[in-house]
Formats: sequence, structure tokens, C-alpha cells
Amino acid sequence: MASNWWEIRVEGHLSLEDSITWRLEKFGCRGTASEAAGDDLLVRAYLPEGHAHVLDLAALSFFLDQDAVCLDFPPPRVSWGMIQEEDWASSWKQHWHPEEVGTRLVVVPAWLDPPTPTERLVLRLDPGIAFGTGAHATTQLCLEGLEMRLGAKPGVVADIGCGSGILALGAALLGAPLVYAVDNDPLAVAATRSNWTLNGLSPEGLVLGTGSIEQLLGREPADGFVCNILAETVIQLMPDFCRITKPIAWGILSGFLIEQTQEVVAAVDREGWTLAALWRRQDWCCMHIRRHPS
Amino acid sequence: MAKKVVAIIKLALPAGKANPAPPVGPALGQHGVNIMMFCKEYNARTADQVGMVIPVEISVFEDRSFTFILKTPPASKLIAKAAGVTSGSGEPNKKKVGKITQSQLREIAQIKLPDLNANDIEAAMRIVAGTARNMGVTVVD
Repeated sequence: MASNWWEIRVEGHLSLEDSITWRLEKFGCRGTASEAAGDDLLVRAYLPEGHAHVLDLAALSFFLDQDAVCLDFPPPRVSWGMIQEEDWASSWKQHWHPEEVGTRLVVVPAWLDPPTPTERLVLRLDPGIAFGTGAHATTQLCLEGLEMRLGAKPGVVADIGCGSGILALGAALLGAPLVYAVDNDPLAVAATRSNWTLNGLSPEGLVLGTGSIEQLLGREPADGFVCNILAETVIQLMPDFCRITKPIAWGILSGFLIEQTQEVVAAVDREGWTLAALWRRQDWCCMHIRRHPS
Repeated sequence: MAKKVVAIIKLALPAGKANPAPPVGPALGQHGVNIMMFCKEYNARTADQVGMVIPVEISVFEDRSFTFILKTPPASKLIAKAAGVTSGSGEPNKKKVGKITQSQLREIAQIKLPDLNANDIEAAMRIVAGTARNMGVTVVD
């Protein structure tokens, strides 16, 4: 049966955080949520409706004032209201919807049915903790880039910094016979494995590793790679992309803002790659690069 | 991958016991964060500290993915542990419940320093001493 909760809001100086948290816990709140902006702090705490009355909350407010004064800070602003219980375990899912990307793919959260009928390739994704849910501009730009690159003759693709595995999955669905996926974060590697299985893709089509490019040395060189990380990381990895790709190869770089483009282009030039195209969405950029033997 | 933070939320939760009830549900649900995944990860990483409150700072990104880092336990918990008491006083001005020494105070301030709004150990000690005073715990030389 649905019940109500008191939501207690305390706004005060950041230095009062421990004191406020302690007082709320002593009042019976199990846990607090806080957000800070500069020196301003907002703490939210919750209690089942029956566990407190308005007079108790007024007394709490008095104690919070007193605590602040003892610490030589102005009294915090305390307010409270009632919120309705909801199924928090699953209500977050309402923020997620199938997302069409490019002209060939649709990214569908794992708990939803794919839209029917659809001529698009369905990429099912369980959005765990790892980055890459299909909602971000750079992920979409990379998927669209893969769609363009993996046209007539899809080859081996490497996904460096695979996150949830969305780009590796996209490459496989778009026809890549073999996909390499690496990430420094073991949680990302686990997410990629689980999403690969979720999509019913053949395990033989994936080489997955915890780490970075060094995991792929000595393997069949890739025809192309995709790397959607941060500008600094892309620049740092630039010299290594030659070591895992064929002499004629393509690359898709993203994860950086428009103002960071110049430094990435400089690194691309330095390593003998050519900028073929620059795509932009919102504040984000995606670069298509190529390499030919000199 | 590319990360633009849209919210940073700090939760103070009992170690190993996070669940979708408040404060987790309302705080993370509004950002579309996978709540069950967060609870599972938090509980796994704090399972060896059950009985403590372990604050956690969660960064939520534009695409609703997230990361989190565990923070130091609240000063009140460290003070109560050092003073050998289970809880603070309801009337700290009238009723004192325990004592901690200056060296224990410094030790707690040292633990808390990375998470406090303080530039040096002296400032951190003043904040921790204030929390102790509010709890009815006296700091002795």
C-alpha cells in the first residue's frame, strides 16, 4: 500500500554538513541526500509519515538552529513537506525510451519491447553504471559514423574505451565480423559482455579486455577504430592507434568539445592521419580520420 | 568516454544497506539513474563496513550514466566511536555524554580533512570540535 513520506529540507552553510547530517540521523532519518553549490548546502532527509508530527519537526528546526549558532554560523532554513511513495526501484525507467540513431539503428532499453514494425537494427542496452547509453550526442555521432564506415565491406573494428559496449554492439550489428573492445574499468567490461549477450551476438565475434590498446597488440590489425573518450585521452592514445590498425585504416574520434578540436587535429596530423570529416552536435564534435601508406 | 556532469549528489547511507527507499529513490530517480544498479554497487563496496554510515558522492552524466566515490564516515560517527558512546546528547548544553582528547580530535580531523570545507588541520579541528560540542561530547586536553 502506498504511504507518504516527510521530506525535510535544510539549507545552510557547507561547513554545517556533518552537524546537520548528525542531527537528522538522531531525529530518526535513515540517510540524507545533499547537494552543494559554492558554500551553500541543501540537505534532504526523509521519514515515513507516521514517524513524526509537525511539532516534532518544529523542534528539529529549533535544534538545527541551535547547532548552527554553536558553530558560529547563521541558522539554516528548514522546511518540510509530504511526498507520496512510489516504486522508486523502477520509476527511474520512465526517463528511458527507444532512441533512433542515424538511419539504421534504434537503441532500445533492455526492459522495453522494440518498436514494431521496424526496419532498423535493434540495439538492446541495459544502462548500467558504464557510460554510453545512446542518449549522448557523442555516442550518437560515433554510431552514425560507424554506419557510414561499415557500408559495403565491413571489417574488423576496435572500440577503445568501450563503456557499456554500445559502439562495439553497433559495429557488430552493422556487419563487423570481429570487434575488439577494451576499457580500463572492469565494470565497463562486464557491462559490454552482458550487453553483447543481451543482443544474442556470437561470442566469437568479440574480443574483450580490461585495459587499453596494449590488450590488442599482436592481434589481427583492425580496419578501423572508434574512440569516444576525453580530448586528453584521445591525444595521448593517438600514437598507439597505428599499432593496432592496418596500413590503410579509418578512425572515429569523439568525446571532446568544439573548443578542443584544434589540439586533437594537431595530434591527428602529428601521427600521420588525415582529417576526413568533422561532425558537430550541440557542443560536441566527432572526427573521421584516415591513414594511407606514404 | 565523454563525460559532462549534470548533477553531483552526496548521500549518507548505512553501509551495505542502500535500497530504493528515500533518500536514494527520490535523489537519483529524478535524474533517471539506474537505482538498483547503484544500490548493488554501493552495498558491494561497503559490505565490510556494516554499522557505519558511509557517504557517497555520485556524479550523474548527460546520458544518465553515473560514477560514484565513497567518502569518509561522518565526523559524528567517528566522535561517538572515539568517545565510546552510541549516540550524542539530546541536550548538549546540560547533559554531556562523553569525552575525547585533543589528540583524538586531531586524528578525526585528519581523517575528515579531505571532505571538509577546511584548508588546514586547525580549521578541520574547529569544525569537528563544534560537532562534538553539539553532540554533548567534551574535548579535553
